[in-house]
Amino acid sequence: MIFNSLTFLVFFGLVMALHYAPFFSWHQKKINLLIASYLFYAAWNPPFVALLWISTVVDWWAAQWMVRAKRERTRKLWMLTSVCVNLGMLGYFKYGGFLLQNFVAVAASLGIVYHPPGWDIVLPVGISFYTFATLSYTLDVYLRRAAPAGSFLNYALFVTFFPHLVAGPIMRPTELVPQFEEPRQARPNQIFFGLALLTLGLFQKVVLADGFLAPVVEAVYDAHGSAPGMLDSWVATFAFAGQIFCDFAGYSTSAIGVALCLGFAMPDNFRFPYGAVGFSDFWRRWHITLSSWLRDYLYIPLGGNRHGQARTYAALMGTMLLGGLWHGANWTFVVWGGLHGLYLSAERWLRGRFKGFTPGRASMVGLALLTFLLVNITWVFFRAKTFAGAGVVLEGMAGMQAKPAPLIAAGPMIIAMVIVSAIFGTHLAMRNTTLEAVIERTPSVALAGIWTLLLFAVIIEQGQGSAFIYFAF
Amino acid sequence: MHSSTSPSDARASEIHGTREGALPPGLRKTAADRPGQAQPVPTRDVPTRPWVRIGTVAFVSVALLTGAWEWNARANIGLRAGDIDDSAQFWAEQRRLADAAPVTIVGDSRILFDTDLDRFQQMTGVRPIQTAIAGSNARALLESYANDPDFHGLLIVGLADLSYFRPQGTGYAGSYLKNFEKNDKPAQLSGLWIDRFLQRYVAFMDSDYRLSNLLPRLDHGVRKGVDSPYEGVWKLSETFDDRQTFMWSRIESRGYLQQHARYAWNLFKGPPLPPFIARNVVTRSAEAVTRIRARGGDVIFIRPPSAPELRKVEDGRLPRAKGWDLLLAGTHAKGIHADDLPQAQNLVVPEWSHLSRKCATVFTDAYVRRLTQLTPRLKLRADAPPPLSRSDCVPATIASL
Repeated sequence: MIFNSLTFLVFFGLVMALHYAPFFSWHQKKINLLIASYLFYAAWNPPFVALLWISTVVDWWAAQWMVRAKRERTRKLWMLTSVCVNLGMLGYFKYGGFLLQNFVAVAASLGIVYHPPGWDIVLPVGISFYTFATLSYTLDVYLRRAAPAGSFLNYALFVTFFPHLVAGPIMRPTELVPQFEEPRQARPNQIFFGLALLTLGLFQKVVLADGFLAPVVEAVYDAHGSAPGMLDSWVATFAFAGQIFCDFAGYSTSAIGVALCLGFAMPDNFRFPYGAVGFSDFWRRWHITLSSWLRDYLYIPLGGNRHGQARTYAALMGTMLLGGLWHGANWTFVVWGGLHGLYLSAERWLRGRFKGFTPGRASMVGLALLTFLLVNITWVFFRAKTFAGAGVVLEGMAGMQAKPAPLIAAGPMIIAMVIVSAIFGTHLAMRNTTLEAVIERTPSVALAGIWTLLLFAVIIEQGQGSAFIYFAF
Repeated sequence: MHSSTSPSDARASEIHGTREGALPPGLRKTAADRPGQAQPVPTRDVPTRPWVRIGTVAFVSVALLTGAWEWNARANIGLRAGDIDDSAQFWAEQRRLADAAPVTIVGDSRILFDTDLDRFQQMTGVRPIQTAIAGSNARALLESYANDPDFHGLLIVGLADLSYFRPQGTGYAGSYLKNFEKNDKPAQLSGLWIDRFLQRYVAFMDSDYRLSNLLPRLDHGVRKGVDSPYEGVWKLSETFDDRQTFMWSRIESRGYLQQHARYAWNLFKGPPLPPFIARNVVTRSAEAVTRIRARGGDVIFIRPPSAPELRKVEDGRLPRAKGWDLLLAGTHAKGIHADDLPQAQNLVVPEWSHLSRKCATVFTDAYVRRLTQLTPRLKLRADAPPPLSRSDCVPATIASL
């Protein structure tokens, strides 16, 4: 089920009614939420609920046995069991075909012709997200950062809680499990603010990402056989920068709003990332829950910055390459991650070399713009399905196409650029504040007017129930 | 600001911890600020605004605006409730019925618009499953049925020559076919049911009336060398239960919308199709027909009419002898060409490519009578209505010309 669907509106209405029904105990309400969350997931493909159960049960018992273990080796064994089961499922469903494809290619390069049977496995939606969420549970227990959940119900609800289940924010057990321990009721103000956030998220997804930006991106990135010129290539890539942000941040904002309506708090996942100055700043603002997950469970265990420069750069690159691969089983995603790793490494080196440098206001804007442009280069690899496709767009961006063809009509191009400029400008202006702080200073009449326009735009855009891009990750 | 989402107001700070005040007001920490540690329960601020009043004003305003939008859709645009938007989910619902059905229709928009399912059923007692897709390549759909081991029925393949013999691409059918399995899932099915329920009462829920479909159309071709959205096809048809699709009444009347529809077709202009493409298409079609027949099914091709203005271009690019005739010979299949149906001559084709609603019934009547002669799988009922003719659908003023 996806937030931008009529089914979800009905589902959410029923969940709210059950959650605020006076005749249920808190325990029963949690069971209701758990059942609702399984229904939410099963609505996409019922058999894959079994994967959720496997992940839930294995990690619950792994953590339990870890705590009971008297020897460090036994604890490690249970931690590894959890890691292997979770990554095994992820690997099988998400990377099986990719590994096989590469094995065939390597074998062919050695002169061995191998024709394996087709790898026709459906990728369970959101598997990358809930795998990381459950892994953080056993890893936190193993690292003694957190105690195991006191109740299986609370733990199962943490894994399955529908607002974050399929596309994050990737929650840690310590963020959510305590919230299930006490009855939670949102006040009317919180419910209405949650609904406002849900509207904002849907507006980003339905109107901006799907309605106006996606067609501009597709006009260039899916125009097989046509060579885009400089203008079309840049506009389509900028439009994709806007699309991917509105798609994913729209999901996160909706999820936060939905959880808020139910009385739960979820963490920020985006903080005006296109207002970032530099790449370490960008990754503190973009998909925060993933970047911090990778930092805590990959970068730091790989050595982080504790073992000298060379090891730091290696850990950085390794983390970003794997982070790229997390996004999809394709080498283009690895290159995307690799480019970000290079950017981060270069920035680190520059920071060491120019320690005293403090940019002024104009320099900050210039550096933010430079960051945005360089991030856009990486988006080419993220959006293009092949290196050949990425090459075509990059050549276009560099003005190297011999016979470029205009691919985007003026109207959609202007609309897309207005949207992307507005996103960039807003991010830059709000880089040191939060949405809530800005809303606090905004007159109520203006808020009512903005909310009206956003919701009306969502309704008349209708939407086509297209899935969020990150569902596929 | 109030800290939010508490189990109760009194316990809020206990559960959430204190507000993290290390950053300037309005900024709260995120996981990015806490490396290598367990993340605490998040803090979510709710701005101190009168949210209930703001929300109430917003919802009332949205209701009024939506009412105005609905009024405009009905009064000025001519949309109406009950016209169910066609969709991949709607198509998939019908497609799932095809395996158990005696007769199924595939093809492009012509056979979709030009077939009256009620008439078909009145004449034969069989209601065909309509799985044609506007803007698609009928060959791709034919091949999908050929690849379905559970399909054993009669497949009527309606085609517009230039669409069927296109060298590559499946048109809109591609996404319908690709997502067929996905559209069988509970989320998709429930979405379809709710959407269809609402569309029975609401007119504005029409994909052609989406904001992102309307706004870009303000560009009437500013940038040279690229098709502007305005040049694309806008609303042509209305769809009802069972994907029964007819031409939209506003296209039938002379005026801007009819002119725009004709303009959008651009007369199907293009270079003549090289013979090897036709041969390739025929070969692939023959393979598909053979597979269906091997399972006990059968295939009959139908070529609905087009207006003389369009037909001239179509014949110029792919004459009947090099396309249609070659197809029937190559596949050893039977076929019904509109040219060969006396009752289907000089029907009303308002935008040159699809029949008017009334003439769709006349054409259906004509081709179904012929079908019953070509295949034992369909029989004309004893109580079938009497044959229709051109005069049943062509306005008297035009018929007398």
